[in-house]
Amino acid sequence: MIILGIETATLQVGCAVGGVEGALASFTATRGRRHAETLVPAVQFVCAQAQVDLDEVSVVAVDVGPGLFTGLRVGVATAKALALALRVPMVGLSSLDLLAFALHHTDGLIATVVDARRGEVFAAMYRPVPGGVQRVAEPRVCSPGDLAGELMAMGEDCLLVGDGAVRYASSFDDARHLSIADGAFAHPSPAALVQLAHARAVREEFVQPSELEPMYLRKADAEINWERRARV
Amino acid sequence: MKVLGVETSCDETAAAVVVDGEQVLSSVVSSQVDLHAAFGGVVPELASRAHVELLTPVIAEAMLEAGVEGRDLGAVAATVGPGLVGSLLVGLSAAKALALVWGVPFVGVNHLEGHIYAAFLEEPDLEPPLVVLLVSGGHTMLIAMEAHGRYRLLGATLDDAAGEAYDKVARYLGLGYPGGPAIDALALEGDPSAIDFPRGLLREGYDFSFSGIKTSVVTYVRKHPSVGTADVAASFQEAVVDVLVTKAQRAAAEIGATGIVLGGGVAANSRLRERILDACIADGLRAFLPSRAMCTDNAAMIAAAGWWRLRSDGPTPLGAGADPGLGLPLITT
Ligand SMILES: [Zn+2]
Repeated sequence: MIILGIETATLQVGCAVGGVEGALASFTATRGRRHAETLVPAVQFVCAQAQVDLDEVSVVAVDVGPGLFTGLRVGVATAKALALALRVPMVGLSSLDLLAFALHHTDGLIATVVDARRGEVFAAMYRPVPGGVQRVAEPRVCSPGDLAGELMAMGEDCLLVGDGAVRYASSFDDARHLSIADGAFAHPSPAALVQLAHARAVREEFVQPSELEPMYLRKADAEINWERRARV
Repeated sequence: MKVLGVETSCDETAAAVVVDGEQVLSSVVSSQVDLHAAFGGVVPELASRAHVELLTPVIAEAMLEAGVEGRDLGAVAATVGPGLVGSLLVGLSAAKALALVWGVPFVGVNHLEGHIYAAFLEEPDLEPPLVVLLVSGGHTMLIAMEAHGRYRLLGATLDDAAGEAYDKVARYLGLGYPGGPAIDALALEGDPSAIDFPRGLLREGYDFSFSGIKTSVVTYVRKHPSVGTADVAASFQEAVVDVLVTKAQRAAAEIGATGIVLGGGVAANSRLRERILDACIADGLRAFLPSRAMCTDNAAMIAAAGWWRLRSDGPTPLGAGADPGLGLPLITT
């Protein structure tokens, strides 16, 4: 079973192709041309490098966020179209889950923190379990300060990971129990996406392209303003 | 050659299959008008979200209705600009992915050129030189089309687009959003000669100015609070249409055009269509008035324009991006 993975939830644009043995080829770029320009040529590139014909792909996996809306939509729109054209099902995985999975060999709590801009972060919490991680707090959008307070109140050692943890490192500085994972882990890994999606695909936990939606966690500004106006 | 067109530049999610730039096998449009109506205009973030949700089913439906498979296609065309960048990126990304899987060329299409080619879908024997009057919520342009893909800009609006003036006046009159159809319908019950609103730049050149007329409407209604709204709507519409038709007619005579092509959302306006038709009959010209479905944003016009662009320029690289400020490719010499 060959999985094609698309990952564009942060400033990074990435994709990977692989199967039961993990990723056979993967691509990431965090700087340079924008997601929409880079992604389709990158898919072409990883398939060529891994000597995988697109017709052999049996599942399209995609990072559904949370993350930066525009890049995220480029990835989701591309992945849905790939699945439609290939007539294959999809697997959607959260950016926060992918970040935590990369650190599953650690002990103690993991907090995944994605930069949400405007002084906020998307965050969730996990504990390592054999072979992976288990989510212990649901994804939410909050300020780095609130997240730091919540983590300190838990009073255990916690490893923070993600571009939000790097960007707001100073918010997590004072806390004794908190440490920040290396910048190499700051963006979700397309190789991890393929690996996790393979496990889901084996259990046939699929979604159809028409059912898959990005995880926004934040309403459009117009809706927020509208609700505010409606309340007064 | 069958071309799949994809259009997501604003608030319509659309896909269509067209043969040789003229025969429409399917044209599916999912409008978001209701989604944005509460906000009195298109909300870019909501439009982008809706495109992501709607696009795959819309494409699947267009393919099914046309009875084609990916391998039957000769190209996939998508709007790359002008438009809302977040919305454009959804359609562009999907179209490139489809082209990659199906192993067919991708063609990036200029939305404005798409509106011009809407006329060719319904009148395949159309022959340049033509005068094109492109009027929508975002554009008011008078163009000399000398040959396929060869456009010379004669004039454009210096301030508001014609459709924008409709929206603003409709909002002021409390007619809701979108303003064009509301004013058009109400004007039928009014007297177009009741109020003599100003005709901006009527005799000067080919440029347009529509910002003054909104102010005139407001001033007039304030001074005459008992005036009938239908008369205001009809008189406003008559003033706008007067300017558009007079200039298009003059341009057609000057460049020796065989006809006048109407395009863009405002091309659905019943009074504008009537007056263009009258002007063309008077001057022995052909009038190309796209059906109402072809006036509003759709993907059949994108597939048609894409077919012509593929013939003249070849495929667009898969590394291409969107260009929200893209202008019509003009010749200047
Ligand atoms: Zn348009």
